[in-house]
Amino acid sequence: MFRWVVAVCLILLAATLAGYTLAGGSERADFAYVNSTGINTLDPAQMSWTPDIRVAINIWEGLTTYDPRTTRPREGAAYLPPDVSADHLTYTFTLRPDARWSNGDPVTSGDFVRAWRRAIEPGTAGDYAFFITDYIAGAGEYYEWRNHNVAALTALNRLARGWGVDDESARSLWGDAELPELAAARPGPEPPTVAEITSLDLDWGAIYRRRFERHAAELDARFVSVGLEAPNDHTLRVMLTRPCPYFLDLCAFAVMLPCHRSIELLREGVGDTGLTPEGLVVYDPQWTKPDYHANGYPGLITNGPYRVADWAFKRRLHLETNPHYWDRESIACRSIDMLVYSDLNTALMAYERGDVDFLPDMSVEYDHQLVELAVTGQRPDFIFPVVFGTYYYIFNCDSETVRGRANPFRDARVRKAFALCIDKRTLTDKVIGRGDPVSQHVIPVGTITGYESPPVAAGDAGEARRLLADAGYAGGRDLPPIDLLYSTGSQHGKVCEYLANTWRLELGVTVELRGKETKTFAEDKVKCNYMIARAGWYGDYADPTTFLDVFATGNGNNDAGYSNPTYDALLARAAAETDAARRMQLLADAEAMLVNDEFPALPLWQYTNLMAVKSHVRGLHPNPRLTFPFRYLSVQR
Amino acid sequence: MTRRIFNRLVWGLVTLGCIYVITFLMVVSAPGNPFAAAERNMPPEVVRALEARYSMDNQAAYFFQFLAGAVRFDFGPSFQYKDWTCSQIIARALPVSLTLGLVAMLIAVLVGVPVGVLSAVRRNSWFDLTSLGFILIGISLPAFVTGSALLIVFAIYLKVLPIGGWGRISQLVLPALTLSLPFMAYIARLTRVGMLDVLGSDFVRTAVAKGLDRRAVIWRHAFRVAFLPVLSYLGPAAAQAMTGSFVVEKVFNVPGLGIHFVDAALNLDRGLIMSCVLAYSAILILFNIIVDLLYAQVDPRIKEAA
Amino acid sequence: MIGAPATSRRAGDRRPERPSSRSWRRFRANRLAGAGTVFVLVATLIAIFALPFSLSWFDVQNATTAVRHAPAVGRVVDQAPYAEAQGSNTPGSWFTWAGPAVYRVASWWGHDNLGRSVLFRCLLGFLVSLVIGLGAAVMSVTIGVLWGAVAALAGGRVDAVMMRIVDVLFGLPYILMVILLKIALEGPLIRLFAGRTQLANVVLLAVAIGAVSWLTMARVIRGQVLSLREQPFIEAARAIGAGRLRILFLHLLPNLVGPIAVYATLVVPQAVLQESFLSFLGIGVQQPVPSLGRLAADGVQAVNTFVGYWWLITFPCLLLVLTLLALNFIGDGLRDAFDPKSRTTLLV
Repeated sequence: MFRWVVAVCLILLAATLAGYTLAGGSERADFAYVNSTGINTLDPAQMSWTPDIRVAINIWEGLTTYDPRTTRPREGAAYLPPDVSADHLTYTFTLRPDARWSNGDPVTSGDFVRAWRRAIEPGTAGDYAFFITDYIAGAGEYYEWRNHNVAALTALNRLARGWGVDDESARSLWGDAELPELAAARPGPEPPTVAEITSLDLDWGAIYRRRFERHAAELDARFVSVGLEAPNDHTLRVMLTRPCPYFLDLCAFAVMLPCHRSIELLREGVGDTGLTPEGLVVYDPQWTKPDYHANGYPGLITNGPYRVADWAFKRRLHLETNPHYWDRESIACRSIDMLVYSDLNTALMAYERGDVDFLPDMSVEYDHQLVELAVTGQRPDFIFPVVFGTYYYIFNCDSETVRGRANPFRDARVRKAFALCIDKRTLTDKVIGRGDPVSQHVIPVGTITGYESPPVAAGDAGEARRLLADAGYAGGRDLPPIDLLYSTGSQHGKVCEYLANTWRLELGVTVELRGKETKTFAEDKVKCNYMIARAGWYGDYADPTTFLDVFATGNGNNDAGYSNPTYDALLARAAAETDAARRMQLLADAEAMLVNDEFPALPLWQYTNLMAVKSHVRGLHPNPRLTFPFRYLSVQR
Repeated sequence: MTRRIFNRLVWGLVTLGCIYVITFLMVVSAPGNPFAAAERNMPPEVVRALEARYSMDNQAAYFFQFLAGAVRFDFGPSFQYKDWTCSQIIARALPVSLTLGLVAMLIAVLVGVPVGVLSAVRRNSWFDLTSLGFILIGISLPAFVTGSALLIVFAIYLKVLPIGGWGRISQLVLPALTLSLPFMAYIARLTRVGMLDVLGSDFVRTAVAKGLDRRAVIWRHAFRVAFLPVLSYLGPAAAQAMTGSFVVEKVFNVPGLGIHFVDAALNLDRGLIMSCVLAYSAILILFNIIVDLLYAQVDPRIKEAA
Repeated sequence: MIGAPATSRRAGDRRPERPSSRSWRRFRANRLAGAGTVFVLVATLIAIFALPFSLSWFDVQNATTAVRHAPAVGRVVDQAPYAEAQGSNTPGSWFTWAGPAVYRVASWWGHDNLGRSVLFRCLLGFLVSLVIGLGAAVMSVTIGVLWGAVAALAGGRVDAVMMRIVDVLFGLPYILMVILLKIALEGPLIRLFAGRTQLANVVLLAVAIGAVSWLTMARVIRGQVLSLREQPFIEAARAIGAGRLRILFLHLLPNLVGPIAVYATLVVPQAVLQESFLSFLGIGVQQPVPSLGRLAADGVQAVNTFVGYWWLITFPCLLLVLTLLALNFIGDGLRDAFDPKSRTTLLV
């Protein structure tokens, strides 16, 4: 009997191992680096995470690319400099004739138009659509027009199916000038209530169909009004809404990357219209796979120095050189592996062992030890650069009450009082212990050429108490318990406890900490359901407006609810200013307002990044924007 | 026999249906909006349209839509990994977990059973006592502690095995070993107790008194009786090894389904949560059925009763 | 002779011994179980005695002393300045008289990278783990006993349906269900506890683990009640008109104490182990609340080749192993004492 058992087990084991070896195993690439979160999405129009962007700028090539050392814009698929009109509003790009996709097709201006159009479609739901809607003439209006129609079609679709609609949808239907039946059936100036709409005896199905068909027909005609022209395959003309000195920098970013025409094979939609029942333009999200072949799709085609050869979910992304890339001769590193290690501790051990050549992120528990090794030079392969981002906390500048209590932070004096009494040096040196550089500014100092950060007046706890008394809260009396919102994980909890303690000691206020999971935290932050919240911002392009625009009235990312007409006016004047020096001065004045008087945000430190690069890797230059074009790499083992 | 199998399969499907309902209720009652991004915001019309597209605006419709898709093994897209469908994720990750669990169980049986038998035979010898100590450690130390210890010793200090990952045989050794330890301990314990019982029973003493070869008595006759409780434990144990390897997968960076499920649960990726639960439950139920039938074959008393 | 009622006493008669007393005596004779019980009791007492210190210090970070690396075993860290910042060091408070002696004791097991004493965190963690384990056991006992007893007493269709449900739930992977329950119940429980998230979290874990551990108990209790149901004393009780509930609580439950005790003590170490897995995966006890599993997981994640923080992992793991062993021995001892036929004890 025992022999039977052993025999069965051994046979099963042999069979399993045989199957296992047949399935797995692969060669080591020239260069391997670690990604701890996995690829969120490879769609350039949707991505917003740094690891995704890091891959995208290597497999696609935009009009411009980043210089590996200075991150200034360099030639990409287009020749530099482009033809710029006298009023700085029209850019004419000439594309390289030898720029090719990975299947040999030439890169055309139509590929850029297609990609940028897709980026501003509501169905793509891209975080960076504002790159195009804010800067390219007509794009903002087209985007609004599409959003409005999608809202109307979604509501009509629900009504046609006999489901209810909510207040917002009902209002959007009412404002729609293209529904005469509605106006006729229910005259009157005020928007109807949901009950009224559903009680109307209209043929919703017919209304919906007619509206849908008409909208599908006028899509292309309406897009002509956007300031993008492709007179021939090699020329791309872009019309801007206002002068933009950093437009070439924007062109290198992920959302501006081109898109091959084969994506049209995967467009989902009703019949020939190319629109879903809600009116969205959506493509099968699997178009980013190299081995996806539904409907004759050839798999992912890209035009950058590398192409995706294999993608194993949350395990490995394997890149190989693009055989048709125009500069393929200069690429020294033939294949690249992006390995996913969800535990950074394990990733670090793999690096030590030599399995991995580059660790872009080493935030482990004991990272202050590693920072010491980096800073003292004991480990020359550990690099600790300062990054183009600031860690700050935002005050709720807008809501009257938060969670049932009066919000004191509508008064700038209270905000300034809270900001002035924090000892940031102790925070970074002792509590966190990494020695991140303390920041009194919203924009990281010295990171943008031509921009000088404004001086910040020093303050202390005494002045803070005076300000608080001026605002009517002397000694912390009459202040409700302060709600401090943060996301659990990382070191935010420690920071919040330190802040809470400082405010209690110096100002005599009670602070309640509220730590939430990232997604619930984000929801609360967006809905202004906090008094103070942890925030932060990384710059997207090399201009002060990437940090300052966040605090403009109505900006989509203005979670603090900050609204100041003087500030908005400063930004508007800077946008219209053609002289570069004067423009920078205006922006510095705007920042001075934020960090000296207004304090919608409490800056703590400038983000840093701990990285490790093996000494046999050449061509990888640490820079504040953490962009690493891999085509300049060479690896000598 | 075929009626028995058919019966079990039908009940298995009913069970899966109930599990689907329970999981659905739990998933839709969890708070949080999967479309909320941490740093940027979306206009409300876009959020509404996306919700319509992914059928998040009408729970009842989603219930039936998912069920209809599940029958065709199409579990819809994953919300957090937008480029992948749930079926693709499961198709790649499930075999990994299954292989890991299976190899771990086989190691557990191949090592645990002989250790248990020998412990019983040489009761109170040094072998017995050391194996008892090992058994105690095996059931009291959580897998991430033993796994990390093995990782440090073999992968970092001795450098004979890789840190983790999946693909080569050398990457399979440590995770499978770690996963097998608690089961190995329990199997050894079960075998030992069973053998001790049998060895004290009448028929064994008679056989030995009659002069039968001692080794044959232990390994053939006594073992057959002692092994039955182990066999009945193997079914649920194997299923547990295959569906409960989350911790080992995290320690050794093995791309199995467990770690994807935990991520999905933390990020409220509804489609992936439900498809993982259904996949795991299907495996569990299937395994229980197979082991039930096997046990019926092996144990003549049950076979008689059938 | 299970459930034989105490007979009326006549003068001079020796009272017949209840079977349960015999079992308890067997349990007391079991040396390993005894050692286990002693360990658990002593550890609990020490932990409770140390509560004033552990509760004040388990989340205190040492920001005012220059603590950047986890101080090793024996290095004394003065908690007073930061405790003062926390407002605990008012004149005359126990912090002032506790002083140097307590800080020296606190350094016996070293400190972690926030300057917190590993010893006190372990003691508090021990209590938290025990609370979770006992909570899960109570939960699973309540559901399991009620379910099994009701099924057995009701009989017929109701019984069949209830046991089928148990079969269905057996088909669910254990840790999956715990995770799902945790997500689903998180919102309501936090609202119930008015925002005290840490407390809500601990309760949530106990509830989630208990809610998936009652299945075996239900089956066993059902089996026991089915056999008890036919006993003459139950029939007698029914004959004198006792209602079902009265039968359940007054007559059946006292005789079920044995199996309940056995399976309940099995749930406790299982729950502690499950909680440690969940903490490692990041969904168990949240910072800064310690539990044995949380501390072991943190220790494991602090392991690296640059600096050896051996005290962060050794002491919590040691305590965890000893606790689990003690609980397992107690469970084995109980099983041995109350159900000698089951013969699954480790040491015969």
